[in-house]
Amino acid sequence: MRIKYLAIAAGLLAMTGAVKPAAAHHSFAAEFDVNRPIVLTGTVIRMEFSNPHTWLHVRVVTKDGETQDWAFEGGAPNALVRRGWGRDSLPKGAKVKVQGFQARDGSFRGSGRTVTFVDTGKQLFMGSSGAGAPPDERGGQQ
Amino acid sequence: MRYRLTGVVVAAAAAILAFGPVAGHAQDQKRPDRIAGKPNFNGIWRALNSAYWNLEAHSAAPVPEFWRMGAIMSIPAGKSVVVGGTIPYKPEALKQKMENEKNWPKDDQAANCYMPGIPRANYMPYPFEIVQGDQNIQFVYAFAKSNRIVYMKEKVPAPIDYWMGMSNGHWEGDTLVVVVNGNDDRTWLDRAGDFHSNKMVVTERFKLIDKNTIDYEATINDPETFTKPWTIKMPLYRDISPDAQLLDYNCVEFSERKIYGHLEKFPDEDK
Repeated sequence: MRIKYLAIAAGLLAMTGAVKPAAAHHSFAAEFDVNRPIVLTGTVIRMEFSNPHTWLHVRVVTKDGETQDWAFEGGAPNALVRRGWGRDSLPKGAKVKVQGFQARDGSFRGSGRTVTFVDTGKQLFMGSSGAGAPPDERGGQQ
Repeated sequence: MRYRLTGVVVAAAAAILAFGPVAGHAQDQKRPDRIAGKPNFNGIWRALNSAYWNLEAHSAAPVPEFWRMGAIMSIPAGKSVVVGGTIPYKPEALKQKMENEKNWPKDDQAANCYMPGIPRANYMPYPFEIVQGDQNIQFVYAFAKSNRIVYMKEKVPAPIDYWMGMSNGHWEGDTLVVVVNGNDDRTWLDRAGDFHSNKMVVTERFKLIDKNTIDYEATINDPETFTKPWTIKMPLYRDISPDAQLLDYNCVEFSERKIYGHLEKFPDEDK
């Protein structure tokens, strides 16, 4: 009997999930943790303009001398190109400061928010990582 | 405007894929020698050499990983298609090429069914079709359903890097010249690990020797990888069979186990 109720409950849960509006690709909260913001400084390994999201790969050397290769997810290539990004925006080897939010699974991944060139201070907005991403500093939604 | 024209070419290519071309001989009689005053490249083409194994000269050799296939999956010998014989690598780049060769097919993205890039797509052992009207020209490749539009009117810059690059073309007399920018640096040039950076610019030249043969040439200019520009040269042959048709090579599922096999419950089990 109890099993039957469980099954009904599970069915109801599944239905709730089904009627929820579909998120763009995936929701922010499914992969990233808004409570774990991160700022890292490193050098660009590669800027990957792939669909549905771009990925910025950055090599970071920690205080202890450990080398970590981080990947930050950005907006779709089309969205970034419309904002003025191009194939030479983040050249390999450029020193950058990336601000974003860490992945829930603790891997060296995050949702990128802004990239700042260490040399010039020029800042680029990395776009959104899907529905539910926190608002930017000016309060705007992505 | 560009997009509308592109749409027409794409629709034409889609129609060809869906319904197949008119039977070869009938098509041969109907095919005009020239379109809008330019040579007519319409048709299905293919290279007949082993440059896809190695652009440079190579002896016949076995592939240890394919031992089960014996003689039918070994490398045929081939002469170099590189003008001058060898690729002018910078010393560091040559080391990378050797490393790539050692890691074939693991690191060859074409083995993952990714689009092979230019010029490699033109001499893979799979045919491709040229769809030419009086505007832009489309190249449709059987392998991985790759295709590219060669923009003939306005010059289109490459906003980002693409697996198949961004092609802009023009005519020099009867030669179709295509300049390819925005080439993703993850494509290789063959199965021997020959590679390039995303600074590579490929200048291709297509010239009809006779109505069934193209004299194909591609000059590769990539100062990050090579000491000087270098050129490959080979004929491309028309498929003259009466029922010539470009058939899909939807390879995604063929490479599934290569890419995701490690996630299987018993990854090393033979299937």
